[in-house]
Amino acid sequence: MAGPALEIHDLVTAYGAIEALKGVSLTVADGSITCLLGPNGAGKTTLMLTTAGLLRPRRGSIRFGGEEIAGRAPHAIVGRGLALVPENRLVFPAMTVTENLRAGAYQRRDRAAIARDIEALYARFPRLSDRAAQPAGTLSGGEQQMLAVARALMSRPRLLLMDEPSLGLGPLVVEEIFRIIRELNQEGTTILLVEQNAHLALTVAHHFYLMEQGRVTFSGDPRALAEDEVIRRAYLGSARG
Amino acid sequence: MLVDVVQNTIDGLLIGSSYALLALGFTLIFGVLRRLNLAYGPTIMLGAYAATWAAREIGAEGLALAAITVAGAVLGGAYVERLCFARRGGLRGAATARGPAIASMVASFALWMQLEEVVTLALPRHLYPFPPLYAGAPLVLGPFLLRVEHLVTLAVAVLVAGLLAGLLFGTRFGLAVRVVVDDVEGARCVGVNVPWVLVRVFALASAVGGVAGYLIAATSGQVTPMLGMWSTLKGLIAMMLGGLGSLPGAVVGGLALGLIEVHSQWYVGPSYRDLIAYGLLFLCLWLRPAGLLASPAARARLAATG
Repeated sequence: MAGPALEIHDLVTAYGAIEALKGVSLTVADGSITCLLGPNGAGKTTLMLTTAGLLRPRRGSIRFGGEEIAGRAPHAIVGRGLALVPENRLVFPAMTVTENLRAGAYQRRDRAAIARDIEALYARFPRLSDRAAQPAGTLSGGEQQMLAVARALMSRPRLLLMDEPSLGLGPLVVEEIFRIIRELNQEGTTILLVEQNAHLALTVAHHFYLMEQGRVTFSGDPRALAEDEVIRRAYLGSARG
Repeated sequence: MLVDVVQNTIDGLLIGSSYALLALGFTLIFGVLRRLNLAYGPTIMLGAYAATWAAREIGAEGLALAAITVAGAVLGGAYVERLCFARRGGLRGAATARGPAIASMVASFALWMQLEEVVTLALPRHLYPFPPLYAGAPLVLGPFLLRVEHLVTLAVAVLVAGLLAGLLFGTRFGLAVRVVVDDVEGARCVGVNVPWVLVRVFALASAVGGVAGYLIAATSGQVTPMLGMWSTLKGLIAMMLGGLGSLPGAVVGGLALGLIEVHSQWYVGPSYRDLIAYGLLFLCLWLRPAGLLASPAARARLAATG
């Protein structure tokens, strides 16, 4: 393979005087599902937003497919094949489900292929298909999460960043989302996943990083460690682990 | 008696079509940026004064004057956008934050004053003639009189409204504008270059305002430094009547304002015309705060912000 999909080195992002990322380095192997664990306020979402270009880093490097993208505008990053499924989904509430999907393909110009991709996504997400002409704001939380994933896929990303896709959803919907994550990965999409539910995340992850207070404090292969050890660290922190 | 009612209604709708044009530009800016551009009228005035200057100094006429007015308004709009509304990235961007919205509005008021000073320095008399759109007599239709300039304005307003609707709902640029309106951060996530969209919306709105400004100046046959304030006021009232950020609302609000003005001038008297127009605006904002044709989303937003 041609090197890692994503290489982040010594990344610092700050909100005013407060550094949310204090020099984070991590690598996402091409074709992997890499999982980012850690308590609230550890900087996981900040890392995702910075990688997608929605926040500007203060310093550090983000290499995507070998190319430096740190500090680039989000539209330049989407065009290179990186898509974010943001926390809180941020679907377009007044627009229909189909319009949301078209918006996801905003940077593409191949109209016929866009129409085919919408059909394919409707086959994958039948519940969205039922609601195709409905404003996205009227969907349930689970449906909006599906839509946020489908919208991100419309840009045909090589790397998909997913920020807490299970947040606030019922167990059946969460199960379906994780089935889709596995499927997408088997079809060749590299995935960087932020997830509160460490137990669930470790069932799909090839590799994981633990973040605390703006730093990576632990990382490893979930199959090489006893699960309870990882979860203990994820929830209690490495200092006490 | 009935003849008067019909004639006044026709006049009201025709005059209202110029208000509708003003409101279309205004509502584009407000709908996308959620900010009030008080310098909207003065940028239109800048265009009209540029055309007046060109008519006096180099003998420009006809469509060239319309083009100069539009170009002047777009340049003025770009200047206002750069100084008052341009913003740098940042996730919880300034587009929805309350503080910067007030800063933008106040800054646009300062540029209003500045643009008035500029045009009165260049052309210092209080009133300059503006080459009329049409020098002939009005059309006579049975007992009714129709001014040709007004008919042209109505036709242009309908055309502009149709073109804007086609642009917003039928093009890639329109898709970008609609997603920015719906959720700015979502728009950034799907790869829309938000600052690029905002600049173009501003230029487009200023161009629509320039078209309105040319038709208004060429219908009244004169320009004065009051044109800026007048355009901001008429556009703002029409937009508020119809519903902030709504294109159909801008048309309905403009026509309604024209009808209210002409009828109240006829039945109550010219000195009460504006009093009645503002009174009805007050009533409308009291009973339907989001405007006559506000979208459910706009109403929800209003309820959410109190």
